Amino acid sequence: MTTTLVKLAFAGIRSRLLASGLTILLASAAAATIVLALEVGQTARDPWQRTFDAANGAHVLTTVPSEADARSIASLPGVAQRDEPVPSALARVASGGGAERLRLAGLRSPARVNAPVRTEGAAPPAQGVVLERSFADALGLRVGSELRLAAPGGRIALPIVGTAVSPAQARYPRSNPGLAWVPRRTLERVEPDRSNWAWTEAIRLTTAAAAPAFAARAGASFPPGAGDVQTWENQRAEALRDSQPIAIILTTYTIVLLIVVFAVVAILVGARASAQYREIGLLKAVGLTPRQVTVVFALEAAALGVISVMIGFAAGALLAPRLAQPSAETLLSSPTTAANPWHLLVAGIPVLLVLLVSARSATRRSTRFSVLQAIQSGAPSPAPRSRLARAIAGAPLPIPLALGLKDLLASRQRALRLGGAIAVTGAAVVFALSMKASLDAQPVGEVSDVSEELPVLVYTLDAVLLVITTTTLVAIALLSVRERIRDYGILKTVGLTPREIGSGLVGAHTAVALVAALLSIPIGIVLFRAVFAIAGGSSEDLVIAPWWALTLVPIGTLLLVAAATALPGRLATRIPAADALRYE
Amino acid sequence: MTPVLEARGLAKTYDTGGAEVLALRGVDLTIERGEFVAIMGPSGCGKSTLLNLLAGLDRPTAGEVRLDGERIDRLSEAELARLRRRRVGFVFQFFNLLPALSAVENVELPLLLVGRRRKDARRTATELMAELGVGDRRAAAPAQLSGGQQQRVALARALANAPDIVLGDEPTGNLDSASARDVLGLLRAARDRGQTLLLVTHDARVAAAADRVVALRDGLVSDETELHAARPVALPFGREERA
Repeated sequence: MTTTLVKLAFAGIRSRLLASGLTILLASAAAATIVLALEVGQTARDPWQRTFDAANGAHVLTTVPSEADARSIASLPGVAQRDEPVPSALARVASGGGAERLRLAGLRSPARVNAPVRTEGAAPPAQGVVLERSFADALGLRVGSELRLAAPGGRIALPIVGTAVSPAQARYPRSNPGLAWVPRRTLERVEPDRSNWAWTEAIRLTTAAAAPAFAARAGASFPPGAGDVQTWENQRAEALRDSQPIAIILTTYTIVLLIVVFAVVAILVGARASAQYREIGLLKAVGLTPRQVTVVFALEAAALGVISVMIGFAAGALLAPRLAQPSAETLLSSPTTAANPWHLLVAGIPVLLVLLVSARSATRRSTRFSVLQAIQSGAPSPAPRSRLARAIAGAPLPIPLALGLKDLLASRQRALRLGGAIAVTGAAVVFALSMKASLDAQPVGEVSDVSEELPVLVYTLDAVLLVITTTTLVAIALLSVRERIRDYGILKTVGLTPREIGSGLVGAHTAVALVAALLSIPIGIVLFRAVFAIAGGSSEDLVIAPWWALTLVPIGTLLLVAAATALPGRLATRIPAADALRYE
Repeated sequence: MTPVLEARGLAKTYDTGGAEVLALRGVDLTIERGEFVAIMGPSGCGKSTLLNLLAGLDRPTAGEVRLDGERIDRLSEAELARLRRRRVGFVFQFFNLLPALSAVENVELPLLLVGRRRKDARRTATELMAELGVGDRRAAAPAQLSGGQQQRVALARALANAPDIVLGDEPTGNLDSASARDVLGLLRAARDRGQTLLLVTHDARVAAAADRVVALRDGLVSDETELHAARPVALPFGREERA
């Protein structure tokens, strides 16, 4: 029996290649975003570790106001290796098109712990200045050019002799002020007042795991607020924090995609169950139980789900290093594919669950009808009318539109799911428009701490959602036509013209889409506010897309739906009435 | 007097995957106003095809169809649809009610299509349903009706605009004896009000009620039998109410 059920499931996949392909496209997109969200942070972990190793990174890094404090911390038990305290002072940059703040670290000799790792030119402490790479990139400063600093005694011009990275310095401008290394004498020239200096003590411990305990002891040795202590874990988290907004966006879009997957797959499976109404009746007549019929659909959903998860995992693992690229500016090498097998499981469970639940929910009704009814009528009778359908019946709408709406709303679940898919897609577009408005609202010339990859990622995911929703619309409209061919024959017999039938189909889908698109605006605004707050954005920087941009959402939706349903509408009108009446 | 419906040299060929099937091979048929004609013949002889061509639901391969002297086989799909709205009613063996509409909505649909006001259409549909004995099932969905009730609703829909001609494809073929008798009675009542009836049937009782029986065999008219003298022509039921 199991073999028979499996055969039936695969026959179902083969017989509905469009629906199967759409399901795989959707489910793999959802799986890919889950994998991306999980992988993005991890793909930069190895490069950070390599940078940390190259720098002989500090397990604990303390910054205190005096050299004496720094030395006293270095004398605490557990220290395996230390360096001389390094003084630093703030300076103001007078070149590179802005007035950015910069912390200058004054080195007497090459650092032994937490050493800057050279990426171009000379290594610190060379004569001149070595800039932290992300700072140099953000300000467009190149090796060989000059860095002009505003010092108390006037401007000081320093030749830029190299760039370097540090595992303890996150990407500029999120980590602001930027960082540069100069010889001690240069620091004294830029900031002669030593009371303005801070002292950094870089410490390596006998065991890295002891860092939190050592940091607590070090923190207790100076008054609260007088200094700063960072463990190697803090440094890593801060360095990789660029991927946090990307992870939040990916998590949000994962939820959105899972909702769309649930909606669309339920529609597709439901359409299959409806189209195979008689076949299901025959299967039950030959002895299959309702549970076994459900198993056939569940097997089909599971097979599509497994394929989707594999595709999604591969795509997610390949794309993750690109999205973690912003961190690379502070690392020695670019993020690499991590492809944690556990992520396959984590991505697979929700996707498979959504597919199986939607298959179960779609087939529940189809397995409840009587065998005789199924075999005789060939199609399920529509569900009892909703209040909405009754309201439409009483509304003074044009007859084709009223008929189209009654038809569409006869499958309430399908209409709701279609509306839901359009609403969340519209909300994602509102999200992208608001994000663009927020980025555009930043003062000209100010360096943004939002990585370039973030908007590109959001636009790409929006494009994926739009493609999916449009394809879904075409598929659903085609399914509606296929299911209603006989009804179109009846309507033609009663006297509806082909144009009226086509306009009824397009009009009904457009009306449902318009309601969903209008709802998507507040949903999108709430979503944007929530994600902005979770990502730690300041409420002053939050800008919602202007009203004229938001009106593009319903207008665009109407155009999209009209275009997507035009072809199915045309098909609906072309079938001769006599052929349509013979259709089963 | 001009016949209400006329077919000349009507032929229809179907292409079934490369093989041509001759469903009709040159049928000549004339239906006078107020006449009740039954078309009989074995399965596959072309009865339903002939009915579809006469109703403008399908296009002939050759020949012509005239309704009140006007040639309709060359009309566009839209023109044919508008013509059917007012002048042709159709009753099917399997009722073919629209499942998404209630019984009364099915009946009022043709009235709305010819521009009747919503309230007016609902009132007429309600009266018609009451007259056909399904007045108490107005709000029911088609699936909630018995076969006999569904056929009465389908008949009400076909008669709603008081068309010149009512075509029926085995209208009693899927009904029990009592329901078949009732539906036949209702059809005869429509004819008595002056409407022309053309029914395809296997049922000898239906044929016996007709004025004339046309027998088809292998896509050709093989026999015509006059059973009753044609009744006097009266104005069709409800004609005076038409917009």
